[in-house]
Amino acid sequence: MNDGAVHITDLVKTYTDDRGRPTFTAVKKINLEINNGEFMVLVGPSGCGKTTTLRMVAGLEKITSGTIAIGERVVNDLEPKDRGIAMVFQNYALYPHMSIFNNMAFGLQLAKKKKDFIQETVSRTSKALGLDQMLERKPQALSGGQRQRVALGRAIVRNPQVFLFDEPLSNLDAKMRVQMRSEISRLHAQLGNTMVYVTHDQVEAMTMGDRICVMKDGLIMQVADPLTLYRQPENLFVAGFIGSPPMNLLKGRVEKGDGGLTFKETAEEGGVSFPLKGPAEALAAKYVGKPIVFGIRPEHLTEENKNGSHVPVTSTIDIAEPMGAESLVYLRAGTTNLIARIHGETLFHMGQPITVYVNLEKVLLFDSETENVIR
Amino acid sequence: MRSQRLLKLIIAHTVLIVVCALILIPFAMVVIASFRKGNFPPSTLWLNPDQWTFDHWRYVLGIPYREILNATTGETKLVNPTVPPLHWFLNSILVASIASFGIILLSGTSAYAFARLKFRFRGQILTGLLVLQMFPQILTLTAYYRILNNIGEHIPWLGLNTYAGLILIYLSGISINIWMIKGYFDTISPSMEDSARIDGASRFQAFTKILLPMSAPIFAVVFILSFISMISEYPTASVVLQESANRTLAVGAYSLLDEHEKLWGHFSALAVLSGVPITIMFLLCQRFIIGGLTSGGAKE
Repeated sequence: MNDGAVHITDLVKTYTDDRGRPTFTAVKKINLEINNGEFMVLVGPSGCGKTTTLRMVAGLEKITSGTIAIGERVVNDLEPKDRGIAMVFQNYALYPHMSIFNNMAFGLQLAKKKKDFIQETVSRTSKALGLDQMLERKPQALSGGQRQRVALGRAIVRNPQVFLFDEPLSNLDAKMRVQMRSEISRLHAQLGNTMVYVTHDQVEAMTMGDRICVMKDGLIMQVADPLTLYRQPENLFVAGFIGSPPMNLLKGRVEKGDGGLTFKETAEEGGVSFPLKGPAEALAAKYVGKPIVFGIRPEHLTEENKNGSHVPVTSTIDIAEPMGAESLVYLRAGTTNLIARIHGETLFHMGQPITVYVNLEKVLLFDSETENVIR
Repeated sequence: MRSQRLLKLIIAHTVLIVVCALILIPFAMVVIASFRKGNFPPSTLWLNPDQWTFDHWRYVLGIPYREILNATTGETKLVNPTVPPLHWFLNSILVASIASFGIILLSGTSAYAFARLKFRFRGQILTGLLVLQMFPQILTLTAYYRILNNIGEHIPWLGLNTYAGLILIYLSGISINIWMIKGYFDTISPSMEDSARIDGASRFQAFTKILLPMSAPIFAVVFILSFISMISEYPTASVVLQESANRTLAVGAYSLLDEHEKLWGHFSALAVLSGVPITIMFLLCQRFIIGGLTSGGAKE
């Protein structure tokens, strides 16, 4: 079975005004292969083209150029209903004048399915989603989470090859969001369908996606599984976007000294500098005298000096956020701001001096000009 | 403190009573005039017991009554009303109902196009409609006359002196309705129609099954406003409909105020009667004018 694979080739979307003149290119010739049964997350800041891409897959948005194929079929000119897709919208998009039953049955009714079949399908799906007690109600009488579950049910009864989600959890409160997140993940595990999920929330992306496609300004920045994305970002954007709190990124240049290479931060005064040892040294060799960006995840700034690959940074605590298991500590070293994720045993105070150690083995270096990681 | 509050209360109530009186007194005067013996213009709020009569209402409703010909001899005549008033009444309801439905149909579909579709000059046309609406329709009356006259030569049922012709003209004045309905459509999230299209609805089905039911309130408002304006519309109807029998209520009522014989009593009864269909239509439509019809579907 290869039915639910989505092949996106050279896809472009240029919006036009009333007169057909191009105004804005939202998607710039992207290529993306989504495997059958895969949970693919499209993530990026608002305006990056992720929703536009999804809407083109759904058939709600005309394709300017390029092709979209679902399975073996090119679907560019197919009506949404003929593409074998179902979509869940951010604002639920339920039909407010219809009962929950009719909301879920609408597609089947339009397809002129038999009454028994509709009845059976809707009641089975609603039971699975815990909605069977409220089939006669109108959407207005439901809570946000229930409404989104109805929207989910409406998608499921269509029995699509590909599920499309357009930020389905953004309108829910924090607790509901976490719950629905696992429900959708479970749904994916049960049904095994291809799912394409758009979100701007990188936590959702990381926790739900088999693979994640990071987009920015209509371009794909990187496609990878969550851990690869986190550990081996290909460029500055992905490094800064994935991870919360974000990676510490320091601008500076590579300098050659007596003891080897050092990274020196560009700052008016008191920028930090780190010796580049271990794997970083080899990478930086080509960049002597050139500007680079030095990246280190907050969890790789530790309080203990574990082995030789750690270098100390003396700093003061700006803000400390104890989370229980760990503390997020905002540090100031000279004029440099750093975030560290430190174990939560001690309570830190503002202005308290602290020495943290940078784990040089985990450092990522980026080319300042291309913004790509240095390999 | 207390006296100040009392003063405020008195002032507020005085204002309210005066405003109410301004609205209600003329209406009451017309009602009284319709029950007053003889044909006097509305002028009083009180009738002596011997001044009461139902003759005007009998005339309007087509019920035979005795008219006093000579007060001194007591000579009377049985008047068999020639029914036109009731006829006019039904004419008006017919024309206003059909035209209002037509207006809803036309302005609803146009508003959908303006709200949801993209086409060249959309913005300009929309503004143009608004500008056109600012000219009173009466300016184009002579043109309408000529047009209907010409049409009538080829299509007799759509020419002068036909209801179809009058309705055709009424249907041309819909730009403000397009604006109103478009404004309402704009408040409804397009994602519901998107969703319907994914569910397999055609554009037309998404319009009729999703958007229209949610827009019932604005259609009820447009229907009532059109209906009221057409029941009371005079200039166009008076030019288009020239035969006594096919007049509308407004034209017919005015014809009772002839230069030589002003039948104020008949006129008043007819005027009060014309409020009946409007009231009924309002009560019928009122149940559609409810809030919250679109709530619960989408969260912005």
